[in-house]
Amino acid sequence: MEKIIEVHGLQKSFGKVQAVCGIEFCVERGKLFAFLGPNGAGKSTTIDMLCTLSRPDGGSALIDGYELGKEDGQIRKSIGVVFQDSMLDPLLTVRENLMTRARFYGMGRRELRAAVRTAAGTADVLEFLDRPYGKLSGGQRRRADIARALVHTPKILFLDEPTTGLDPRTKEGVWRTITELQRRTGMTVFLTTHYMEEAAAADHIVLLAGGKVAAMGTPYDLQERYSSDRLCVKPKKKDEFVEFLIERGVPFTEKAGVFTMKLRHTVDALPLLQQAGDRVESFEVLHGSMEDVFLNLTGGTFQEVDGDA
Amino acid sequence: MLNFTQRNLKVFFRQKSAVFFSLLGVILVIGLYVLFLGDVWIRNFPEIQGAKGLMGTWVIAGIVSITPVTTAMGAFEAMVQDRSRKLNRDFLASPVQRWKLVGGYVFSAYLVALLMSLVALALGELYILSCGGKVLASGALGKTLLILPLSTLASSTMVFFFVSFFQSPAAFSTASTVIGTLIGFLTGIYLPLGSLPEAVRWVVKLFPVSHAGALLRQVMLEAPTAECFAGAPEAAVRDFQESMGVLYRYGDFTAGPFTHVLVLLGVSILFFLPAWWNVSRKKS
Repeated sequence: MEKIIEVHGLQKSFGKVQAVCGIEFCVERGKLFAFLGPNGAGKSTTIDMLCTLSRPDGGSALIDGYELGKEDGQIRKSIGVVFQDSMLDPLLTVRENLMTRARFYGMGRRELRAAVRTAAGTADVLEFLDRPYGKLSGGQRRRADIARALVHTPKILFLDEPTTGLDPRTKEGVWRTITELQRRTGMTVFLTTHYMEEAAAADHIVLLAGGKVAAMGTPYDLQERYSSDRLCVKPKKKDEFVEFLIERGVPFTEKAGVFTMKLRHTVDALPLLQQAGDRVESFEVLHGSMEDVFLNLTGGTFQEVDGDA
Repeated sequence: MLNFTQRNLKVFFRQKSAVFFSLLGVILVIGLYVLFLGDVWIRNFPEIQGAKGLMGTWVIAGIVSITPVTTAMGAFEAMVQDRSRKLNRDFLASPVQRWKLVGGYVFSAYLVALLMSLVALALGELYILSCGGKVLASGALGKTLLILPLSTLASSTMVFFFVSFFQSPAAFSTASTVIGTLIGFLTGIYLPLGSLPEAVRWVVKLFPVSHAGALLRQVMLEAPTAECFAGAPEAAVRDFQESMGVLYRYGDFTAGPFTHVLVLLGVSILFFLPAWWNVSRKKS
């Protein structure tokens, strides 16, 4: 697989605070790539560096074959960015905003109109194209931001917490726009998020904690490695079941009559259930979730670090 | 750069209140003059015929000379705002050269200032007309229209220099209020030069914007002065011109139109370069 972003030993400090301490990762072309981490993990700082907005203190990065810091102009042409906050002019209409921004990319007049139309269609903003940006709802604004980032059909789309602050329904709509866009155009999408369900939908995840890469891999990989499956059993008779578990040396926790046991593998549940036989009234096997991965890997490192913005 | 200029102009003119407040300074001074100051000054020259028209023109020339300062201030607010609302991050992550962005801010502020000083001139002429004065003859008007782009250039680059130090809109708006108040005194348009103490007179005469004021007064007052002082001794005319800040005298040297033009051009270059440098070196 071809790599579109390669990052080596990227560092950034703000005064004494080391926001990003020498991270390494790659992004494959055409994939949905998620940067997951708690607030202050260094996600935005990394994005800022990759978008040529702030200069790294050390390390290097290759974006679409261009070297960060040396060929920033080329990089800027290849990327589209949806920032955490709104970046369009509230008093101008969405169309005016898009036109102004599109002209930054040196397009001709006809090309410009077509580009704005396409971007507006893709991001689903046609309905309110001629309304002032400032009068739109949060979800509409987010979509207009995405249209702006798409206006020059970039090769890589960066989204910095694109759904933060939106209500669940709008969040879902925006998220659908992003994933559909990625599927249809094959654009590389690089997003930061702290929502598990979004990260779980990515092709590849880098989990960042305290400015370092805590783990990376596909969501499945991470769940396999950093979370465990659980067997929950509601026994018919509690005492009998406790005896049974102690006899076999199976560690467990009990809460409100439900016993939870960690499993190394999902199938390990089978022999245990078989042996337990009719001591069991009901059971369920829970697959490890991204949430577990997140909490396991970032546990205790939830400090807020300034400079995330 | 033109694209970005256009964006800034749109952003400025969509904000009706910003446009209004940037003109408010002009309207305020005219109002002040109509209500209070006018009578006081005219009483100083009871012997002069048509003093009202003369003094009206004098005030308008002054106002037109400071309008670019106050209005450019309003237009440059976009730059400070963009920086503080971090809108500039979006521009900086685009393949547009930095100088085009800075140029866009400067050029749009210049255009706003120029347009507003034209509006101020038009309003002023209306006022002169309403109080029985004569509007500018075509020759004087032509000269005035040539001076305005130059005086606007000097004023807006000075404002550009000033703005280049500001990061927070709150600090900037306070500072611009202070400047807006001071500017009228610094250029000697609220009070004529002759009524100020010697030291202050020097401050006024050295302040760059005052040169735009003097230049405009020389052109706009030429006809009314000739009319009012018809038959008066040369010395009386000169006395009037010096005390009203039409002519600036520095010791033995009396500045003529050419000096003022040079000063305005020099000031433009002097302030533009460091301001440009100051703005460009800042990264987001």
